[in-house]
Amino acid sequence: MTEHEPDQLDARLARLDRNIEPVRDLWPAIAAAIAEPVPHTRDAGSTRWFSSSRFHSGRSWAIAASLLLMIASSAVTYVVTQRSMQAEVIRARQAVAQQLQPVLAVMPANFGGQMQMDAEYSRAHAVLDAQFAVALQSLPVPERARLERSVGDLRRAARELSAMLAEHPSDPLLQELLLSTYQNELGLLARVNGLQSATSLGADL
Amino acid sequence: MCSSAVLEQSLSGSDVPANEGMLVAAARSGDAAAFECLYRAYCSRVLGLCLRMTRRRDIAEDCVQQTFIRAWRSLAAFEGRSAFSTWLHRIAVNEVLMHQRNRENRSELDHSPNPRSERFSSGEAGADEPLQYQPAGKERDAGEVMDLERALASLPEGSRHVVILQAVYGYSHEEVADMLGIAVGTCKAQLHRGRKLLRKRLGLSELDT
Repeated sequence: MTEHEPDQLDARLARLDRNIEPVRDLWPAIAAAIAEPVPHTRDAGSTRWFSSSRFHSGRSWAIAASLLLMIASSAVTYVVTQRSMQAEVIRARQAVAQQLQPVLAVMPANFGGQMQMDAEYSRAHAVLDAQFAVALQSLPVPERARLERSVGDLRRAARELSAMLAEHPSDPLLQELLLSTYQNELGLLARVNGLQSATSLGADL
Repeated sequence: MCSSAVLEQSLSGSDVPANEGMLVAAARSGDAAAFECLYRAYCSRVLGLCLRMTRRRDIAEDCVQQTFIRAWRSLAAFEGRSAFSTWLHRIAVNEVLMHQRNRENRSELDHSPNPRSERFSSGEAGADEPLQYQPAGKERDAGEVMDLERALASLPEGSRHVVILQAVYGYSHEEVADMLGIAVGTCKAQLHRGRKLLRKRLGLSELDT
């Protein structure tokens, strides 16, 4: 028998039915899968890659766009500030530094196991707070409301962090957050007071 | 939905739907009903291939579903240079191979416990189990067919794939090598080995070659 002549094995293999009917209908699952909006231009493997990539790429683009916007915004603010308000900003910075100096001097670098600031800090804080209240009166109502809301948020955060710290006194993260919140509040008070002082100074000049 | 009338008209007594080109074109444009007709026309053939390659009905059915899902998503890439069925078979073979690679990665054993009803008859695993389908043809041939299916299922994986694709489904050495990602020489060697083992297990004479 030659190589090309079908033998008994070939004949039997050729008689096998190539079709086997499924015992269940497989179409509903296929129909459900293909109903999903997937691009038809690539195979499944690359489609999965494409979808995932597109998702990550979209998110990356959003993040990148946000960062770009922030950078652009900061750059514009910087340029405008540098060009038109340089003298005022310098005066304000000096005033802020002046305002913060006594408070920062008594503010610890960390709590060191304590949960409350000492009396000296409280006094310095009270002075800044009183000056803040005065400074607020000279500001337009919308600006005043915005600042009061910001200070209120910071103080509420400080209260909540203090309460959590009371339960977990040795938690370094909570300590760091509370300290940072206090510093932010003081910074805000000092900036408002300092800007108000600088404005007065600028007007005097 | 692919109505039975459309399907009958599509098949018209042939393995290939008479209006396959139109169905493919419609499916490419997003017509799911046309694609369902293609599925109805080819699912049993694709299942036959997957079942013989995997030897397990549950896995084979999963592969069939994945094959058609992938085909739908890749229809734009189908240029019509080969028959639609050949293109489907290529996807199906790829699905089976991917499944086997994943199974190997998970270190699953082929003889892991499975429901009897899920297993296709096999010479090495469950050879005494009945076939899960009744082959078409005369009853007197049924025993012979069952013996052959069992012998096929008992072949080592590499040889089995080549024998199934070449001797049962009629693909050339080059096509089989391309589908399986192996060299043509390897394909020929696997076919030779597979045929030899089949003859031995079926009690056929070597002289018959």
